[in-house]
Amino acid sequence: MNFDLDVDQRDAAAGARAFFTGSASPAAARAALEGGAVEPGHKALADIGFLGITVAEAAGGAGGSLLDLAVVAEQGGAVLAGPSLVTAARAAVLLAGVPELAALLADGSTAFAVLDGPVDGSHASIDAAGATLFLGLDGGALVVGAGEARAGQPMDATRGLASVRLTDRRVLREDAGELWARARQAAAVVLAAEDLGAADRAVQLGVAYAKERQAFGRAIGSYQSVKHMLVDAWVGVDQLRSLLWWAAWAADAAPDEFPLAASAAKAYAAEVFERAAETLIQVHGGIGFTWEHDAHLYWRRAKVDRLLLGDEAEHLDTVARLAVAGALRA
Amino acid sequence: MDFDDNPEEAEYRAHVRALLEQHTGELLHGGAGESLDPATHEAEFRRTQRVLAEAGLIGIPWPREHGGQGGTLVQQAIAGQEFSRARIPTLINHIGLGMCGPTVIAHGSDDQKERYLARLLRADDVWCQLFSEPASGSDLAALRTTAVRDGDDWVVNGQKVWTTLAQVADYGILLTRTDPDRPKHAGLTMFVVDMHAPGVTVRPLRQMAGGSGFNEVFFDDVRIPDAERLGEPGEGWRVALTTLMNERVAIGGGGSDIGVPVETLAAHARDRLPALGPDRQVLARQAVGRAVVASLATRYTGYRRFTVLSQGGLPGPEASAGKLAGTAAGRLVADAGVRLLGDDAVYGAAADGDDTWQGMQAYMPGLAIAGGTDQVLRNILGERVLGLPPEPRADKSGPFSGGTR
Repeated sequence: MNFDLDVDQRDAAAGARAFFTGSASPAAARAALEGGAVEPGHKALADIGFLGITVAEAAGGAGGSLLDLAVVAEQGGAVLAGPSLVTAARAAVLLAGVPELAALLADGSTAFAVLDGPVDGSHASIDAAGATLFLGLDGGALVVGAGEARAGQPMDATRGLASVRLTDRRVLREDAGELWARARQAAAVVLAAEDLGAADRAVQLGVAYAKERQAFGRAIGSYQSVKHMLVDAWVGVDQLRSLLWWAAWAADAAPDEFPLAASAAKAYAAEVFERAAETLIQVHGGIGFTWEHDAHLYWRRAKVDRLLLGDEAEHLDTVARLAVAGALRA
Repeated sequence: MDFDDNPEEAEYRAHVRALLEQHTGELLHGGAGESLDPATHEAEFRRTQRVLAEAGLIGIPWPREHGGQGGTLVQQAIAGQEFSRARIPTLINHIGLGMCGPTVIAHGSDDQKERYLARLLRADDVWCQLFSEPASGSDLAALRTTAVRDGDDWVVNGQKVWTTLAQVADYGILLTRTDPDRPKHAGLTMFVVDMHAPGVTVRPLRQMAGGSGFNEVFFDDVRIPDAERLGEPGEGWRVALTTLMNERVAIGGGGSDIGVPVETLAAHARDRLPALGPDRQVLARQAVGRAVVASLATRYTGYRRFTVLSQGGLPGPEASAGKLAGTAAGRLVADAGVRLLGDDAVYGAAADGDDTWQGMQAYMPGLAIAGGTDQVLRNILGERVLGLPPEPRADKSGPFSGGTR
């Protein structure tokens, strides 16, 4: 058994950490709530090649695995980067049979978004606000087209959420239900990867403050009530990492396990990230409840992500149905 | 990344499987947990371990000079996985193998090693661990059982409690207070005690789940020869830490589920869901889904720890998270299993007399206490993994007899 990242994946993670740390931040996420740009932005992600990690080499991508993309996405999540690599993962699956469009995804010359729900009035969809070309499922067919995006008031501005009405459409593939489902599972895994990075950072920030902040004559992290809260958040993060790696690995290496693994990772990410973000605020006390502190930016991301691409209840139901149908690995 | 055995591991697994197949008629079979009671099936339990020992499958990482196989922790984990796959119940001497034996190896005299270890491996002698007392559980060093030097012997008086397997044990490792005038951690000494010696009284305690896996043990003027001391007088705490570190290795996990395997829950759900109303099925699937996710999260985290062993590493303090999270997942699995019983869920057993799920539900609270309570594990993780400061303590410096406890 070798359930660990390989050297290349560790290097990729380190490189991604350096890139995202220098190009995105919770401060940018805060500014975006008041009209600022989402950082690092679509062009920077395209230039460093992150949008094409899972696009085939023939279409100008890196031909990597979903796990390769997930380890990068985790680093973006840690600093609340946007746009999300969820779209890159999902569109790469949908466009696998359409190399000319996959090439536009990989080189970043077109900003894609994938629509959830009906194409003549979609649900709030990730990074639809800044996209120019949309992919959707229309009567079982995969379609692509231009559209009008209408964004609501953002809770987390880095997610670029908008509802879209397609103004034209072209069928890329009939009978695309299975492909669509697989693409959505890949997206759920990458969202869970971004949540893992964000939750991990939230725990680190909480731990750092608990070592430093004094109350009643000692560091608050020495009190078991505070310590145990942070430990529970950390255990969740550590366990989420295992589910996330398994799910991302299964996408390419064990397709039979992938649907259950993807839903397990997404459902668990919702719970773990929410706990980590709420713990971060609680450990900080009053300062953690201010606009200026970063805690609420992680909390916003957690509260939004848990509902995107299927909420916890939907994915738990999927896990149960698949498990009952015999999908667990023996 | 992969979940496959490497060639050496695959070869070893095949070797273990072949041996288990070959000896299947001589081995006990039947689930984990409390389903088979070592006290009522003692002879079969001892025979099972002896057969496995003679096949070279017991004491795998122990040095050859002590009757072990000189193998690796990975081989031990593989054998453990194959034992559960073959539905071999927890070995009768699991306390001896996991904790007492390693303590004797680390701190015993040559004579003790010679007399005890080979017999322990074969379950010719069953061992127990006499640590907890009525007034010292998580705070082990507050124990009050005394040992007083008298010529070549020590005379022991006091009481131990929650002692698993004491009712069948031949020997135990016994932590005592030998110098009450020193601070609590400094006045302790460890011994090997003969459980058949005059003055040793074992009384089984009935647990909330109904079984009697643990006991209270009374010591009334029990004489232990000085040659049975483990480590120097006053060094008992250091010796006990060896035992407790080995306990962590033993429960650190290689991806085995605590409680009921999640596949068993899935099969149970397949059988029972159709009998529930449609609205109820929706709710029950939420409970099943949550239990499956928690259980898989723990299992795959165990695989990451197993990978560390496989690459020659040792379990660190983060292994404590495996038991903490595994217990929480086990509770969810047991609770979901009971919910699926519908009207039978409020009874102690289903109409056909099957009490598997109710029994597991009643067993889980004990797991959150035994081998480090959830709260002690959180302290370990908070202090050794996250680096948070410990609570200030007032019990470490003054003499125990002076009230500093």
